[in-house]
Amino acid sequence: MKKTLTLACVIALVVLSVGFGQVQKPSDLKYPPLKFEPPDPKAYRTEYANGLRAYVQEDTDFPLFNISALVNFGSLYVPKTKTGLAQVMSGSMIRGGTKTREGSAIEERIDFLGGSLNFNAGDRTSTLSLSVLSKDIDEGLAIFFDVLMNPEFKEDALNLSKSRLINQLRSANDNPSGVLSREYQKVLYGDCLLTWEAAQKGYEGITSAELKTIHAQYFFPKNIILTVTGDFKKADIKAKVDKIVSAWKNKAATFPPLPKSFPKPEPGVYFIQKQINQGYINIGHLGLEDTNPDYFAVQVMNFILGGGSFSSRITMKVRSDEGLSYNQGSRFSYRWGFPGTFSGYVQTKSETVGYAISLIENEFNRIRKDLVADPEMDTAVNYYLESFADTFQSPQSIMSGFANLEMTGKPMDYYKTYRDKIKAVTKARVQEVAQKYIHPDQLVIMIVGDWEPCNKGGDKWPGPLDKLGKVHRVVLTDPLTGEPGKQ
Amino acid sequence: MKRALTLFLAILAFASVLAATELKLDVKEHVLSNGMRILMLPNHTVPRVVCHIYFKVGSINERPGITGLAHIHEHMMFKGTKIMGVTDFAKDAEIDKKVDELMDQIYREKYWAADGGDKAKLALLQKQFDDLAKSEKQYIIKDDLWNLYMKNGGTGLNASTGNENTGYYVTLPANKVELQMLLESDRMMNAYFREFYSEKDVIMEERRLSENQAGYFFNEQVNAAFFAASPYHWDVIGWMDDLKKVTKADLLEFHNKYYVPNNAVAVYVGDFDPQTIIPMAEKYFGRVPKGPDVEPIRTSEPPQFSEKRMYGEGPAPTSLQIMFHAPKEGDPDTAALSILASVLGGGGGGMRGFEPDPEALAAGPQVTRGQRGGGFGGGGGTGRLNKILVQEKQLAVSVSASSQAQWYVGAFQFRATPRLDKNIQPEELDKELWSEIEKVKKDGVTPEEMQKAKNRAESSFIRSLSNTMGLAGRIGRSELNRGWRTIMTSLDDLTKVTNDDIKRVAAKTFVKDNSLTAIYKRKTGR
Repeated sequence: MKKTLTLACVIALVVLSVGFGQVQKPSDLKYPPLKFEPPDPKAYRTEYANGLRAYVQEDTDFPLFNISALVNFGSLYVPKTKTGLAQVMSGSMIRGGTKTREGSAIEERIDFLGGSLNFNAGDRTSTLSLSVLSKDIDEGLAIFFDVLMNPEFKEDALNLSKSRLINQLRSANDNPSGVLSREYQKVLYGDCLLTWEAAQKGYEGITSAELKTIHAQYFFPKNIILTVTGDFKKADIKAKVDKIVSAWKNKAATFPPLPKSFPKPEPGVYFIQKQINQGYINIGHLGLEDTNPDYFAVQVMNFILGGGSFSSRITMKVRSDEGLSYNQGSRFSYRWGFPGTFSGYVQTKSETVGYAISLIENEFNRIRKDLVADPEMDTAVNYYLESFADTFQSPQSIMSGFANLEMTGKPMDYYKTYRDKIKAVTKARVQEVAQKYIHPDQLVIMIVGDWEPCNKGGDKWPGPLDKLGKVHRVVLTDPLTGEPGKQ
Repeated sequence: MKRALTLFLAILAFASVLAATELKLDVKEHVLSNGMRILMLPNHTVPRVVCHIYFKVGSINERPGITGLAHIHEHMMFKGTKIMGVTDFAKDAEIDKKVDELMDQIYREKYWAADGGDKAKLALLQKQFDDLAKSEKQYIIKDDLWNLYMKNGGTGLNASTGNENTGYYVTLPANKVELQMLLESDRMMNAYFREFYSEKDVIMEERRLSENQAGYFFNEQVNAAFFAASPYHWDVIGWMDDLKKVTKADLLEFHNKYYVPNNAVAVYVGDFDPQTIIPMAEKYFGRVPKGPDVEPIRTSEPPQFSEKRMYGEGPAPTSLQIMFHAPKEGDPDTAALSILASVLGGGGGGMRGFEPDPEALAAGPQVTRGQRGGGFGGGGGTGRLNKILVQEKQLAVSVSASSQAQWYVGAFQFRATPRLDKNIQPEELDKELWSEIEKVKKDGVTPEEMQKAKNRAESSFIRSLSNTMGLAGRIGRSELNRGWRTIMTSLDDLTKVTNDDIKRVAAKTFVKDNSLTAIYKRKTGR
């Protein structure tokens, strides 16, 4: 193999002979040593004309060419009056054409070449990604940069994008998991730019001129990091990209202030009525940022609590022991520049909703109160250490990992030091972060389900639900109008 | 004319890619004396090995009364063996036997008696059962196999059940493949199905999760109406009644019949030398005794003879589906239908995940529904139907076409969502779709459309080679049906399709008497 990455892997697999013992149980197994060192971002980083940064890896295994632009732009940079603009942009950036190309011609050509071209706007980053065969590098690059630099957001594409978004609004309250996820965030973050949503009128009001203005504001070389992988020579790509972007001017982008603190919601039950045969449940509060030094200890703690699937306490208790649910656990989600959320979660039949919640609360309390056991620690830490190489499965995932570190301002030795930081987590640290980041007195218990049977409970946990805390009945807004709907 | 020439040159340039690069699927094979097949594909990108095992058994091997059993069995394979998941096997087995006997009495009382049984007697039996189950817990090591894989850096840890096959997955560090061989061969030989009854509760919750997705019940009925006789009639998860009543004896019979080495294939993709894998496989999988031959399923789908139409109302988006019976995988006509789906289908929802759902369901042993052999379709926003119905006429929000050739049946399917904001109803889309279908039957597709579909198939194949997990799945599943080489030959068949083929298969397939049309309208909400 020609990959630099592979050279870093020293694998000492001993050739095994047929007579390698009569192993009967897993503890008899002896594994040959295996060393793996993660790739170094510096070896792949380069800068093209006008300060356009890039992480580039040659990969000659397949005749493919992949390029992505990670742009420091997303829905959180859009003013409240234009909520929904980033979504409309997602649907019309490519289809809306450029100054010299019709959107339909771009799509047709990319499809004809057997390639793909996608644009997606997130919270604070947007990504344009192209994949073509390496014989089509020149044509692919020309289309890719044309879309990135010169989108026109033409009317017909804009209208199609809006009609699809409005159609999605009609289904926004159809599925309980979608409702739970959205409303949980609303309660935890309150009314702020993290939870604003567009309704029909909002989408309809977005214009091509506004899209072009915001594009001009954020899409410039120094606000973008490229990732490039595939069958090419680095120097050739540099020459080609430099030529295309040499006239692309930089600007001074202004990033709107983002909220630093959030109002604390009143703890208790938040119930959303839906006539279904299970309760969909989230239990938690705000979490932390992944730049927090406690991040690694929190990862290990959450693995043991409910993040390590069948190796975690919540799954073992709620699913394996009690048969109450198929899907359950706990998670910390992370967002760039904000604390993410912490939640225990489960979906269970209406009559066992209260019981399942009580079991999850017990686990929250237990991991705060007692030190975790040695075997639990052993499984969690070893999982992170032994599966570490999985992060580096493909050149694309590696380069995009590096680009994300740089974009979000994380230390570039993140991967290099990752295993040491996991190894440093102790049982005492697990308990410490459990006490610091899990607050049983502040829990928001959100349930999407059918009130009567959920509130009634069952043999093991008879209701009512207000035994868990004050009950708030949440009335959903009508997604099309943004006005409170009928309950 | 000039445009046509440029296009022609582009086609020539493309056609040479696969041949010029000599890209091929270089799978190494080894067959054990018990009939188990070992397939290996080295890939040294990272020191990990994708280790999959596939069994040729799925929901089509069930019958009324035991629907859902293939999937239940997949869950139960995580419940331990004679050496895994238990501290004292003899003592545990003694209790487990009593648990089964007691549950047999409960089932007879509850499900055999017309009135649901004697409540007092049931309560007494249930109490005895609860006590026994509690006493068994002292011997059970929970999720032992799962923990062991996790502790050793196992990722992609899962299992899934489809209509035709069941897979068990783990990706391990390159030096730990032996662990997988030991654990998987152990559970083939020594599976011991403790905690059966609480796991059935888990699976009923899994079915409820599906039921609570808007539109699930209607789609389940549509599928059951489309496949009237063959065992594709029921969903992989099974009917709720069967989940409740299926017994441990059913499970054991199923296990002994299908979980034999001659009905299995192990696939390894990753950083290894095949010469180290083969002796290990001989040692571990070689010790599993060969089982009786497995008979293919008997009931194929009979001709329909008359058109079927279904109407439904409920809490899901208004939509139209038109389904046609099509040939099974391996039939010469499937290639033309695949090309046709690629040419026609297109657009989808148009939005590629603006925000990933942070509460997306976590992984766990699961059902893989509608796992199709030769699924092929889509076409980005450039499919013919998308251009005409979505962009030009603005009658639909999205429209798609797909061709699914499965092991014993096939289906060609259109789906469309009407523009409700323009008061378009599914019935109107139905007419429009048929008008497009008639055009294809008469004129087929254009040379450019044909070449685009072929180009996309080839480049998608090249991309699939770098996805180790996906590739392991394709290799394993295709091996169980017609052999892994069909991955390449199917691609070759696509490149040979002509417009005459397209017109012929369209005329044969797109016939009203061969179709089911399902119209669904939102009754509540929007």
